[in-house]
Amino acid sequence: MQFSGSLSRMRESQKAMRRFYDAIAYAVIAFMLVFALFPLVWTAMTSIKPEKDIVTNELQYIPRNPTFEHYVTLWNRSGVTTMFRNSAFTTSLTVALVILVGTFAAYSISRYRFRGRGAILLFYLTIRMFPSVLMLLPLYIMLRSLGLLDTLWGLALTYTTFSMPVSLLMLKGFFDAVPADLEDAARIDGCTRLGALFRVVMPLARSGIAATAVLIAVGAWNEFLFALMLTNSEGSRTWPVVLQLMVGEFQLPWGLIAAGGMISILPIIIFFAFAQKALVRGLMVGAVKG
Amino acid sequence: MNPSSSPSVNNPSDAIKHQVKRFNPFDLLGKLSESRYWAYVLLAPSLLLVLAVIVYPVGYGIFLSFQQFNLMRAALGMKFVGLEQYIELFQEEDFYIIIKNTFTWVVFGACSQFLVGLITALALNRKSIRGGAVARVLLLLPWIIPSVVAGHMWALLLDSRLGVINDILVWLGVLDSYQAWFASAKTAMPAVLLVDLWRGFPFFTLLLYAGMQSIPDELYEAAEVDGATGWQKFIAITLPMLTPVIVAAGILRGIALVNSPDLMIVLTNGGPGLATFTLSLYAFQIAYDNFNFGAAAAVSVIMLMILMVFTMLYFKFSGVTKNT
Repeated sequence: MQFSGSLSRMRESQKAMRRFYDAIAYAVIAFMLVFALFPLVWTAMTSIKPEKDIVTNELQYIPRNPTFEHYVTLWNRSGVTTMFRNSAFTTSLTVALVILVGTFAAYSISRYRFRGRGAILLFYLTIRMFPSVLMLLPLYIMLRSLGLLDTLWGLALTYTTFSMPVSLLMLKGFFDAVPADLEDAARIDGCTRLGALFRVVMPLARSGIAATAVLIAVGAWNEFLFALMLTNSEGSRTWPVVLQLMVGEFQLPWGLIAAGGMISILPIIIFFAFAQKALVRGLMVGAVKG
Repeated sequence: MNPSSSPSVNNPSDAIKHQVKRFNPFDLLGKLSESRYWAYVLLAPSLLLVLAVIVYPVGYGIFLSFQQFNLMRAALGMKFVGLEQYIELFQEEDFYIIIKNTFTWVVFGACSQFLVGLITALALNRKSIRGGAVARVLLLLPWIIPSVVAGHMWALLLDSRLGVINDILVWLGVLDSYQAWFASAKTAMPAVLLVDLWRGFPFFTLLLYAGMQSIPDELYEAAEVDGATGWQKFIAITLPMLTPVIVAAGILRGIALVNSPDLMIVLTNGGPGLATFTLSLYAFQIAYDNFNFGAAAAVSVIMLMILMVFTMLYFKFSGVTKNT
């Protein structure tokens, strides 16, 4: 009697503990959601306030006179559409190049055991750590002598190489997961190795390839430091640079800055929503051996 | 019947030969793909790119650090000065402040982001929690926001006149009056660290959560049978199982923190005074504003040496180099 009583009391207390921990977990998640999302929400609200409602003595929490004037102004300003085109072009070119070149390299490292394989893998891991500022200077000189300074191709080439190591590790992880038997079967049916790569391995790893592409795209779309250094004319500036230079040009046009920020993060949020699951898996593989 | 009259129809092997004769580059590639050089052929483009755009520049950068070279006065050319630029750096008093700032920035940044990321991941990892999947995606958003936009967002939030955070803190009674967070030497670094915490914690949450998911349930069940408390389970199971992930994430984030002056460029430009001046910003400014590439390279090489330590720790502890 006494024993079962104490047991049920223990269960009770365990249940209470669990509820207590759950409450804490909910509180943590709620707090973190506010922390993570409030800046975005605030920026979105600022972007639809007229300038006179942003610069006020008494802060306006909910926009009283919502307007899209900042978006319209921004869009009509010369150079803004160009900079988005520049960013889109650079990003697409980077993704295409990395996926093309990176797929071959990752497949090679994933499938073959050749001399120097370990060293090459280590090499790719090491170059990930090089300080970007150190490369910035020689790249500037190099691209200038190649005539690629201040061009979108030069920028894309730089981004391609920088995202190569991490993409390669991610892709390798995804290719490792494709059973070699399937490839062998395709080859028995008369496929060459190249054919098997295109017809069997790549289709099977497509969600992983898509996730890698999204990661590269986000990185290229957001990149600021190299774009600032390696471009200086309107024809090749990407939007993070333009957004930053806007601050210097005018006296903190908060409405415009907020609107520019909102427009520029929209594409990456959409991309991200599509690929977040595979992205998590890929990053895990890239950073640690799971 | 004359067998030689229509050989290409009657003899199947002749038909194949006929097809091969038409030149097709893909056939050639396909053939090459069966040879033993294929692995190297596949690797070559990526290796060439990396050698040209990363390795050569890094080598050249190290070379530059021993040269006096200003791009604005390129006509003067390069002059070998040996370690002079390094010695000059270490003779500047400001340089020690910059190194100290870099240290603060990296250590406090990585630690705060790890802790907040860990707490968030632990909360998300509870099985009884509902809506976790949605929260997980939403919590990742700050991580994909570009540094420039993040900087501007927080500049507005923390503005000394229009900042909503000031407004809320005054309303709550925490502050007497609005603060100029980025303009005061005491609060500038914590304020920039807060912005980076916002941007950086999701990275830890993401990796730690994924790591927690891969810990087998049986371990926890066995511990429960033994009557372990939640804290004991965390110390004895979760933490040790997560160590490789923690180390990898921490070091990768540390490297990113050493490397990136983005937030400082957007928010403070190193100021007020030298309060938020870090090595990466210093190197960038010498190069971008003064075009003194030689001196900037010397600062970058010092960063490279700091990063090498990180890299070796990463290799040693994360298990990422284990060949599989």
